[in-house]
Amino acid sequence: MTLIDYQQDMETCCRCSACKFIPLENVKGFEHANVCPSISRFEFHAYSGGGRLGLGVALLEKKIDYSDKLLEVVYNCQMCGACDTSCKYAMDMEVLDPINEIRITGVAGGHTLPVLDKIIASLRQTGTMVPGSRAKRGDWAEGLDVKDFTKQKSEVIYHAGCRTAYSRDMWPAARASIKLMQKAGIEAGIAPEETCCGGRAYQMGYRDDAIDQAKRNMDAIKKAGAKTLVTGCAECYHAFKVLYDKFGVRGDLEVLHTSEYFDQLIRAGRLKPEKKVDLYVTYHDPCHLGRQGEPYIRWQGKRRPGQVILFDPPKEFRRGTFGVYGPPRDVIGSIPGIRLTEMARTKEYAWCCGAGGGVRETNPAFARWTANERIGEVAETGVEAIVTGCPGCEDSFREAIKAAGNNLKVFDIVELLAESIL
Amino acid sequence: MALIGAQYTAFEDIVGADFISADPVILYAYSWRSGLYAGTDKFTPLFEAAVLPQNTEEVQAIVRLCNKLGLQFKATSTNWGLYNDATGPGVIKIDLRRMNRIIEINEKSLYAVVEPYVIGAQLQAECMKRGLICNQNGAGANCSALPIAAHGGYGHLSQSASYGERNMLALEWVAPDGELIRFGSLGSSGAWFCGDGPGPSLRGIVRGNVTPLGGLGVYTRAATKLYHWSGPPTFPVEGISPDYAPGEIPPRFLIRFFSFPSLDELDKAQRKMGESEIACELMGFNAAMAASNIATSNEEMVRLFQEFSGMVQGPSCMVIIVGDSPADFDYKTRVLAQIALETGGKSLDKITDDPKVAGGCLWRWLRSTASIREVFRATGCFGGEVGGTDTYRLMADYITETGKCKDDLIRRGLVYDDGSSPFTQSIEHGHTGHGELLIRYRPGAATWDGLMEFMGKANNIAINGHFGVPGHVFSDMQHDIYGPHVSSYHLWLRKIKKVFDPNNASEGSHYITVKE
Ligand SMILES: Cc1cc2nc3c(=O)[nH]c(=O)nc-3n(C[C@H](O)[C@H](O)[C@@H](O)COP(=O)(O)OP(=O)(O)OC[C@H]3O[C@@H](n4cnc5c(N)ncnc54)[C@H](O)[C@@H]3O)c2cc1C
Ligand code: SF4
Ligand code: SF4
Repeated sequence: MTLIDYQQDMETCCRCSACKFIPLENVKGFEHANVCPSISRFEFHAYSGGGRLGLGVALLEKKIDYSDKLLEVVYNCQMCGACDTSCKYAMDMEVLDPINEIRITGVAGGHTLPVLDKIIASLRQTGTMVPGSRAKRGDWAEGLDVKDFTKQKSEVIYHAGCRTAYSRDMWPAARASIKLMQKAGIEAGIAPEETCCGGRAYQMGYRDDAIDQAKRNMDAIKKAGAKTLVTGCAECYHAFKVLYDKFGVRGDLEVLHTSEYFDQLIRAGRLKPEKKVDLYVTYHDPCHLGRQGEPYIRWQGKRRPGQVILFDPPKEFRRGTFGVYGPPRDVIGSIPGIRLTEMARTKEYAWCCGAGGGVRETNPAFARWTANERIGEVAETGVEAIVTGCPGCEDSFREAIKAAGNNLKVFDIVELLAESIL
Repeated sequence: MALIGAQYTAFEDIVGADFISADPVILYAYSWRSGLYAGTDKFTPLFEAAVLPQNTEEVQAIVRLCNKLGLQFKATSTNWGLYNDATGPGVIKIDLRRMNRIIEINEKSLYAVVEPYVIGAQLQAECMKRGLICNQNGAGANCSALPIAAHGGYGHLSQSASYGERNMLALEWVAPDGELIRFGSLGSSGAWFCGDGPGPSLRGIVRGNVTPLGGLGVYTRAATKLYHWSGPPTFPVEGISPDYAPGEIPPRFLIRFFSFPSLDELDKAQRKMGESEIACELMGFNAAMAASNIATSNEEMVRLFQEFSGMVQGPSCMVIIVGDSPADFDYKTRVLAQIALETGGKSLDKITDDPKVAGGCLWRWLRSTASIREVFRATGCFGGEVGGTDTYRLMADYITETGKCKDDLIRRGLVYDDGSSPFTQSIEHGHTGHGELLIRYRPGAATWDGLMEFMGKANNIAINGHFGVPGHVFSDMQHDIYGPHVSSYHLWLRKIKKVFDPNNASEGSHYITVKE
C-alpha cells in the first residue's frame, strides 16, 4: 500500500473531531474525555487523527511537502490508534493506517529524523532497537534451564523482545514467564541471539526494515518447528500477530501474549495461583495488546461504484472490538488477594502510556507528559499498583512515577502470577 | 498575503510561542474541507495564522489586534461545519480549544456556564450525575456545549429541553471591535441566570435566526438552561466499540419507533404527545436514519434500511419516555399506547423488541452520540435542507415539499438513494417544530451542481409557499434572496453588522457582510 491507496479513506474524513475523544457513549464526565495524547498536548488540529488525514491529502495534492514542521507533527504521535477506534465507532474508514503510511512515504523519500535513523542503523547492524546497550541480548535468561530454539526444535517459543532483553527491570517478568511455563510442563525455547520483531521500526515508518526483521524471525521460527510464539511484550505481540500477517509471512504460527497463554493454562488447570497476593491494582491496556491487538483481517478488493461507501468484497474494518481485553483481567482475577479496579479510560479507549510510535526516542518530554496523564488517572482510583503487559508501558510508567516522587508500584501481570504460583 | 514578522510577534506576545502558528502544515490541517456541504474543492483558503487563546483576555487582545492590523478573525469551537472556514485571505483562525472549562453547574437556579470547548458529551455527563439534563445540539455530543456556538441548537432533547435561542441565558461576548460585553444578569449582578436582564440585553442581536456563524465577534462563556432528569447518572454501557449497549434498560425508560399511515396522522400523534407532555424525546426520524444509527457499518446499514423500509407504513418518529415515578411511567406509557391506537401508529418492533437494540438506541439518542453514523458514515458528506423553526405542521409541510426535489437527484444517481422522506422534529412539547432533509452524497462536480439546483428549488418553495426563513439561510447571497420577502430584514442585519463591527474584523461571509 502507498499513501495514494488511502486517498479515499483520508478524503472521507468529515472533520467531526470524534477522534479527539473517547467513544462518545462512554464519556462519563468532564474529566478523561480526551483520548489522543498528541492533540491534547499540542492543541493544533494538525496533531489529531483527522488533522493528520488532512495533511495526508495535502501531501497528495502537493500543497505541502516533508518539511521539518511536518516531520515534527508526524512524529509527535504515539501511533496508539485511539483515533482509529473512536472514528470507527461511527465511520467506515481507515485512520491509523494512512497515518502510518505518511511516515512510511517520508522514510522512503529520505525524510527522516536523525534520532530514529540511529536506532534503525542499530537494528540493521545488530538486530536490536537499543543502540549502545552493554547487556547482551540473552543475558536475561542466564542460569535458566531453557533450550535454544535455534539449535533444538521447539514447539513453543518465548520471544523476550528488545525492551525486555536490554532492561534489567524487565528481566524478572521474562524469567518468571519461563519458570511458569516450566511449572506447567511446557518446554519453551528461546533464542539467546533473538532479533527485534521489527514492530517499532514499522511504527516509525521504516517498513522495509520491519519486513526484513519479519522474514528473518520467521525463518528461524520455521526452522525450530515452532507452532506457538509467546511474548510478554505488547509491541512484539502486535508485530508477530498482526504485522507479520499483513506482510504475508506469519503462516499458521499461533501468537499469544503471556496473559493469553497463562490464562489458557490456568483454565486448563495446569497452573494454579494459590498464594495470596494482597494488592489493590488497576490494569493498563497496552495499545498494541488492546485495541491494536485484534487479528489482522486480510482484504483485497475495491470500492463499489455508487454513492455509499461499500466494498467488493465486503470489507470488515478492524475497529478495536476484538483486541485482547479479557485474558489479562482474567489472569489478575485468578490471583487470590488481588483487587482490581478499572480506570476511567479503559480497554479500547485506554489512554496511551506515551512510549509508542518512537515518541520516547524523538520527544521524551512528550512521552513523559503522556505517562503523567495516565499516572494521574491511576492515582484517582486509589490503587497501590498499576499492572500491565508491556515492557514499554512499564518503563514509561516507572520513569514518570520516579520523576513525580510517587510511591505507586508497577508490575507486569506475569510477575504477580509468579508470586502467586512459584 | 502572509503575516509580516512584527504582526506575527504581536499575536505571539498574546498567546505565547506554543499557541500560534503560521506554518502551512498547521494551516492546511485546518483547511481540509468539512464533510458538511462538501463541494469539489478539497481545501478552503488558508488562514494567515492559527491562534489558541487560553482565556477571555487573550481573545479580547487578539480581536483588538486584528482590528488594529486590518485583519479579520474567525472563531471556532469544535470546527466541524464549513462555516468555520476562511473564504479568502487575511483571516486569523481563533481556535478556542484551550478554553474548555465548565465554569459552574448551578443546581438550584438550573443553569450551567461553559467555555466554548466543553463538548456536549462532557456537560451532559456532568448534568446527569446531578439529576439534571441540558439540551444538546443534534449534530452530536462532539459539538460545543455552548448554546450559541451551534447553528440552531435543535437536538434530540428539544421536545423536553428546548433549543439554542431559548436555552441561552447570560453571555460573555467579545464584540467584533474587542469590547467585552457581559449581558443579561451577568451585566448587572455578575450572575448567569438570565439572558435579558437586569442589565443590557443583546440576545436577539447576537443570536438571530441562526447564530452569526463567526461573523459577529467571539462568545467566550455562556450559560445554558438545565432541566430535571429522573434517569440514572449514567447507563451501564457494556461491550466494546462500536458494539455498545446497556446491559439492561434502567427502570422507567421506554423507547418506541412508530410509523404512521400519513403525515396527517404523524402530525396528530406528535401534537397529542406534546399536549400530554409525555415524551422526553420526540424526533421524526425516518427508517434510513434509524438504520444508520443502529448499524455499526455501512454493510449492515444498507441491510437494515431495506428491512425497515419494508416495515414502515409512512412517516415515522422515535419517542423516548422517562417516568419520574412508577405511576408517572405507567401513565405516560398508557397515554402513548392510546395515541398510537388513535392515530394508526405502528411500532417497529425490530427496534424495540430486542433489549440490546432498544437499549443501544435509547442511550445513543439520549446522548446524541451517533449523529456521525447517521449523516456521514454512508458517503462521507452530507448536505440537504435545514428547515426553519415554526409551527410543527408548517415546517413538516415545507420539508416534505422540499423532499420531493430530492427525488430528482436520486433519479439522476447524484446522491444516495435513502428515500426522500425528511425528518421532522417537535420542539417544546409541540410549541414549535423543525424539519430537515438529509442528502448524503459523494462529492463531485455533477452532484454539486445538482445540490445547487436543489437549493434553488428549496428557496423557491420556502418563499413562494410562505414557509418562513429556513435554517440554511446564511451568507449574503441567501439573505439577499430572502430579505426582500421578509420585512427587508437583511438590511437590518447589515446595519447590525456595520454598527458592531466597524472595521469588518469578524469574518462575515457565512453571516452577512456590509456590502452596500
Ligand atoms: C452532521 C451535522 C449535523 C448537524 N445537526 C444539527 C442539528 O441537529 N441541530 C443544530 O442546531 N445544528 C446542527 N448542525 C449544525 C451544528 O450546530 C454545527 O455544525 C455544530 O457543529 C456546531 O459545533 P460547535 O458548536 O462546536 O461550533 P463550531 O463548529 O466550532 O462553529 C460553528 C459556527 O459558529 C462559530 N463559532 C463557534 N464557536 C464560536 C464562538 N465561541 N464564538 C463565536 N463564533 C463561534 C464558528 O465560526 C462557526 O461559524 C449540524 C452540523 C453537522 C455537521
Ligand atoms: S478522522 Fe474520523 S473521527 Fe477524526 S475528524 Fe475525521 S472522520 Fe471525524
Ligand atoms: S495515533 Fe494516538 S497519538 Fe497519534 S493521532 Fe491517533 S490518537 Fe493521537
